Amino acid sequence: MIMLFSKRISKRMFPKFLVALLVLALLVTGCGTAANDTSKPSAAGPVTVTFWHSMGGQPAKTLTAMVEKFNGSHSDIQIKLVYQGSYDDAFNKLKASPDQGPDLFQVYDIGTRYMIDAGLAAPMQDFIDRDKFDMSPIEPHVVNYYKVGDKLYSMPFNSSMPVLYYNKDLFKAAGLDPAKAPSTFAEVEADAKALTKKVGDKTVYGFSQAIYGWFFEQYMARDGALYANNGNGRDAAATEALVNSPAGVEILTWWKKLIDEGYATNLGRKTADTQNAFGAQQIAMTIDSSGILPNLTTAAAGKFEIGIAPLPRGNNEVNSGPIIGGGSLWILKNKPKAQQEAAWKVIKWFLEPAQVATWTVGTGYLPINKAAVDQEAYKDFIKKYPSYQAAIDQLHNTPENRVTQGARIGVFTQARATIENAIEQVVLNKATPKAALDDAAKKITDSIKEYNQTMGVK
Amino acid sequence: MKTGLMKKRFTRFVQYLLLTIGALGVVFPILYAIGLSLMSAGEASSYPPHMIPHHLQFTAFPAAMETAPLGRFMLNSFVVSLIVTVAQLITASLAAYAFAFLEFPLKKILFLLFLSTMMIPGESTIIPNYLTMRSLGWIDTFRGLTVPFMATAFGTFLLRQYFLTLPKELFDAARIDGCGRFRFLWSIVLPMARPALGTLGVYAFITTWNQYLWPLLMTNSTSMRTVQIGIGMLQFQDATTWNVVMAGVVIILLPSLLTIVLGQKQLVKGLTTGAVKG
Repeated sequence: MIMLFSKRISKRMFPKFLVALLVLALLVTGCGTAANDTSKPSAAGPVTVTFWHSMGGQPAKTLTAMVEKFNGSHSDIQIKLVYQGSYDDAFNKLKASPDQGPDLFQVYDIGTRYMIDAGLAAPMQDFIDRDKFDMSPIEPHVVNYYKVGDKLYSMPFNSSMPVLYYNKDLFKAAGLDPAKAPSTFAEVEADAKALTKKVGDKTVYGFSQAIYGWFFEQYMARDGALYANNGNGRDAAATEALVNSPAGVEILTWWKKLIDEGYATNLGRKTADTQNAFGAQQIAMTIDSSGILPNLTTAAAGKFEIGIAPLPRGNNEVNSGPIIGGGSLWILKNKPKAQQEAAWKVIKWFLEPAQVATWTVGTGYLPINKAAVDQEAYKDFIKKYPSYQAAIDQLHNTPENRVTQGARIGVFTQARATIENAIEQVVLNKATPKAALDDAAKKITDSIKEYNQTMGVK
Repeated sequence: MKTGLMKKRFTRFVQYLLLTIGALGVVFPILYAIGLSLMSAGEASSYPPHMIPHHLQFTAFPAAMETAPLGRFMLNSFVVSLIVTVAQLITASLAAYAFAFLEFPLKKILFLLFLSTMMIPGESTIIPNYLTMRSLGWIDTFRGLTVPFMATAFGTFLLRQYFLTLPKELFDAARIDGCGRFRFLWSIVLPMARPALGTLGVYAFITTWNQYLWPLLMTNSTSMRTVQIGIGMLQFQDATTWNVVMAGVVIILLPSLLTIVLGQKQLVKGLTTGAVKG
């Protein structure tokens, strides 16, 4: 284009044209130099560990403060903390160019399979075995989630479980015992019925939960059902999704029934919306991560008392429990040895009881080091939020097996979106629970197969 | 006579009423954001929602500034947006000039080719662009943030259409008087196209200011980040405190609003000149 153009430019004008181009070029390059300074460690100075994370809001503040504390107390290692957007954003960025990645990377729970299959990880187990690092104080249920085979690939960091939050004051007002939260689907339904009240022209609903694929996974696990075949993809790579099993159908049938009967309301996909409704006493019970207790408490302050109970189970009694959610820390394989060793030291520091306690107190994530509960900071925290103990109890009461370990598939992000679509279809009366889940199972199975093929997983 | 005046007044009243309602509808999100930013976290999540804070609180602003270095991000965004805006104005006016005033082989086809790039969704080019930038070593630089956006098919199209409305006689007259192409572009076309340039400038600035994914991919250090990432830092997928997020939004909204206020004269002029000329 420019060639064509310039041919027709008169000779007299040509210098001016060049000047214009030059100005443009200067604009471009003139401002580009200030950057490119930090990432490369100098030979003599401390090792810089680049740490990508996806924490926002309150957890981000806590993490920043902790990193400052680390940097202040270590002269040989400095952490460079970089926020990389949501878990998905960060994950996709790493996928786009693994060689530009960080030394230490926070990945969400369901990214585990991909990290291993893509060969990006320096297995945590190698560091643990070499240093004979004592893993016994770390909560086994948390560790088991991140184990593949008998090998730990990443170190748990921010861990949470779903719990039932309920409004004790509304329980009292409805004549229910505020000390006794519902523990089964049937009890949730009965309590929700008692709690649903019309006040003027607005309705206070007994229950609401966000349309969030994670909750579905958790109910499945609570009911002792596998999400994928081959032991949730842990005995061998999963080849088939089992979401349309009777347990899955029961969950969606119950979900829909509560809404149809008018005891629950559908507030869409965002958990922030159900949280706001709960804080504003528009709903009396909700399901959410154990990590949001401090936030809910702020919203409820001076208005009502919050109760926490384990995740309700389906109508068949079975000894099972929910899966760990959240994120873990990965050391990347393609980084220099010095960086990896420094990252390992950082991880060990984060696992110390004092740090784990600070993390729990600042964010509401589960204390993954058992010794953290003896820390003063944690003791004050549990005094302030006594109901948090229910989340810890749930963590300890969950048996260890393939179901509660959680599914290990490489296409979890898509699977979750598929399930969310299915729930929506059911809630909006566009499909029966069975039909929606059959369809979802087929879609997830297809994408698992495609993934296994492209990644060469056998 | 009197009834006529009454009728006129009444019509006027209705017109202004409708305009006011429309205006309120348009500014509602901004007013609500400002309202929320002045509430406490508890009040922000109360129901029925408060439009106007019952207890004024300014704590959300320091909280937002503390969670994300918004000042630095705003400076970065400002520099990036300004460079992109200026560059787009230069490239688009040059290209539009060629398409509007010059005759060269394959002009129509080239123009269609230009336009067809508008049909490619930006998302699909992000990763290839990113890989190109990476191989150039432009990650974490202002170059990487600005260069890919310096040419614009939309801007070229917009300016070309505007240039075409200028009478061809101007061009001929200028040529006869011995005016060269650049002189013609600079002294005659561009001054007359100020409304269109203003429109494109405001559009380019705000689009760049609102970028999220590209800066997130391109930058790796906090000192190179831009404002929308700052807003992302205030949110958290498990739990969001809206008053703090809105405080951040209000802070980063100011430059965009300023751009519109300053560019408004050009924009309105652009609308009216166009309207008169038909």
